[in-house]
Amino acid sequence: MRAWRTAVAVSVLSVALAGCGSGDTPGTSSGQSAAPAGPWTFTDGSGQVVKADKTPTRIIAHAGEAAALMSFGIKPVGIYADESVKTDPNLKNLDLTGIEILGEEWGKIDVEKAASLRPDLIVADWWPAEKAHSGLEEGVDEKSKKLAELAPVAGATQGKSILELANGYETLAKSLGAKVDDPKFAANKTRFDASVATFKQAVAAKPGLTVLAMSPADDKIYVANPEYAPELLDLQSFGLKVMNPDSPDKAFPYWENLSWENSDKYQPDLILWDGRAFKPDSNAEWGKKQPTWFKIKAAKENAVVAWPAYWMHTYGDFATELDKLTTAVKSANENIGS
Amino acid sequence: MTVTTIAPRRAAALVPGLAVLGAVLAVVAFLSVTQGSRDIGLSEVLRALGGLGDDGSTNSTVTLELRVPRTLLGILVGAALGVAGAVLQGVTRNPLADAGIMGVNSGAAVFVVFAITVLGVRGAGVYVWFAFAGAIAALVLVYAVASLGREGATPIKLALAGAAVTAGLGSMTTGIVMTNVDALNELRFWQVGSLAGRYAPILTGVAPFLIAGLVASLAFGRSLNGLALGEDVARGLGQRVGLTRAAAFGVVAVLAGASTAACGPIVFVGLVVPHVARFLCGPDYRWILPYSMLLAPIVLLVADVVGRLVVTPDELQVGVVLGLLGAPVFVGIVRFGRMSEA
Repeated sequence: MRAWRTAVAVSVLSVALAGCGSGDTPGTSSGQSAAPAGPWTFTDGSGQVVKADKTPTRIIAHAGEAAALMSFGIKPVGIYADESVKTDPNLKNLDLTGIEILGEEWGKIDVEKAASLRPDLIVADWWPAEKAHSGLEEGVDEKSKKLAELAPVAGATQGKSILELANGYETLAKSLGAKVDDPKFAANKTRFDASVATFKQAVAAKPGLTVLAMSPADDKIYVANPEYAPELLDLQSFGLKVMNPDSPDKAFPYWENLSWENSDKYQPDLILWDGRAFKPDSNAEWGKKQPTWFKIKAAKENAVVAWPAYWMHTYGDFATELDKLTTAVKSANENIGS
Repeated sequence: MTVTTIAPRRAAALVPGLAVLGAVLAVVAFLSVTQGSRDIGLSEVLRALGGLGDDGSTNSTVTLELRVPRTLLGILVGAALGVAGAVLQGVTRNPLADAGIMGVNSGAAVFVVFAITVLGVRGAGVYVWFAFAGAIAALVLVYAVASLGREGATPIKLALAGAAVTAGLGSMTTGIVMTNVDALNELRFWQVGSLAGRYAPILTGVAPFLIAGLVASLAFGRSLNGLALGEDVARGLGQRVGLTRAAAFGVVAVLAGASTAACGPIVFVGLVVPHVARFLCGPDYRWILPYSMLLAPIVLLVADVVGRLVVTPDELQVGVVLGLLGAPVFVGIVRFGRMSEA
C-alpha cells in the first residue's frame, strides 16, 4: 500500500517536472544531425545496459565527459562541473556558448534548471570504488542526486586507464550518432597514437629513469598511488617507471602521506608534480619555503614536470600532455635519484 | 589585609612544584627534538645541535630547521594558550572560557580568507599577520559589544558577545569559501591546529609578541584574585574593574592572536590546563598563571610528539591529538575532580 502510494507520488512529480519544461522548443541544440532513430542501448561503466526507445539528443554531461563528447561533435545541452568552467582543465579551451552551466562546484547541481532542459540522457563517469556516477556520489548534496531521476545515466568507467575512458566515450559518441571516423574527429586519436609512440621511444632510451608523482602541501607531502591514478597506470603501461609508494593511506589510498621530515623517503629521477597546483616557479618557491623539499635530489636539480592529475577524458588532451612529458623525459637525467 | 591569604606550607610546596614542572618541560622539549616521524639517531641529533650548523645532511636539516623551531613554537604557543585561558576564565568568571569562545579563531579565519580572496595574497608567512590582526579585531569587537550598556563588559555579556561574533564571522568565512575553492584550499592549513610546516620565520615573527604577552600576564595575578570575589567586592577593595578587564583582554588578544596566527585553532589547552593548575594550587591566580604557563606547553608538546610517532611516515596534527586525548581528560576533570569555579 505504502509502496503504491509512493509510486503515484513519483509519477505525479515526473508529470509535473515534464510540464515545467513544456514551453521550450524541441531539442535542436545538440550537434549531431543524423542521430539514428533508435532504439538505443549502451553498456554503462557499471555493467548495466542502458536502454531508450529513441536515441538521446538532449544530453547533460559532467565536465570531462562533456569535453569527450564534444571532441566527437556531440554538444550537450547542459554541463555540470566541479569547479569554474573557466578553470576546469577539460573545459577551459572549449566553446561553451549555448550550453547551460548547471553547476561549478563539486556536489552541487542545479537540478531544477537541469529538469527545464528536459534531458534524455545524463553522461557521467562510473566510479567503481564508489559505485556511483560523477556528481551522484556519496557526500554530494542530496538534491543533486535527483539529477538521476530526470533521465538514464550512462558513462565509461573510471579507474584503470585514461585510454579506456577515452575509448568508452568514443563508443558512446558513436552510439549517439557521431561519425567518429570522420577525419576531423579521428585526427585526435591519430595524434595520440603518434604521441604514445614518441613517448615510448623516449622512455625506452632511458631504462633507468624513475619518476614519482607528488603533491606537496604546507603541512605534508602527498605521494600519488598509481593504482588509483589512471593516467599514471597508462604511463606505466607505456614503460615509464612510476614508483609505487609502499604504504598508502589506508582510509584514502589515493596517496601516501609523508611528513616534511620524511620528504626524502623516495628519490626519483624526475618528479611529476600535481598539475592542479603546478606553476613554472613552483619548484623554486617550495625549495625556499620548505627546508626539506630540496632534500629530494630531483627537486634540487629542478627535474620537475606537471602531471595531468585525475582529469583527462580525451585522446586530444592526453596527446598534448604526453608530448610535454616526452620533452621532460628526454631532458631528464636518469642518475639523479640513485 | 590581602585579597587572598595562602597558608605558608602551601606556598612552600608550590615553589618546588614550579621547578619540577620546569624540569618536566625540559625533558618533553628534549623528546620533541629527538623524536619524530623521521628516525634519527640520538647521536646524530646531538651532533647537529652541538655543531649548531646545518652540515647539509637531511638529518641535520630536520633537527635544526624543523624540530628546533617546532619545539620552541610549541613551548611559546602552549604557554600563551594556557595563560590566555587562565586570564580569560578569571576575567570573565566563566570556567568554560577560552580564546576560541571569544571569537579569536573565527576572526583569524575570516581575515585570512579576506586576504586570499580580496587582496590576492598567498603564503603562510603572510597569512600569519592577517590571522593575527583578525584574532585581535575579533576580540576587540567582542569586548566592545559586551561593553555597551551601563554595567560594562560583564561576564555574561562577554560570553554572549563572544558566541554572537564567533557565529557571525564563521558564517562570513563559510560564505566566502563556499564560492571560492581556492580560499578553501588555502584555509585548510588553518582549520586544524598544527605545529607542522611552521619554521623559523613564523617563530621569529610571533615570538616577540608571545614573550611580551607572557611577561605582562604575570602581573594580573592579584587583580584576578580580586575579580574572583565578585565585582562589587573588587571595587570595594579599590580595584579599577573596567581597567583591569580591558588590560587583561589586551594581553589575551596578543597571546591568543599570535598563537592562532602561527598554529591555527588549538583546542583544549586553554580550556583544560587552567583547571588542572587550579586543582594543583588552589584559587590563587598568582600561582595559577605560572603553573598554567608551564603545564600548557608540556601538554601541547606531549600531544605533538604522540601525533608525530603514531602514524609515521605521516603525522597527526596536534589539534587532532588534543581533541582525541583532551575530551576524555576534560570529562574526567568535570566528573571526578573538584572543578572549582573560576
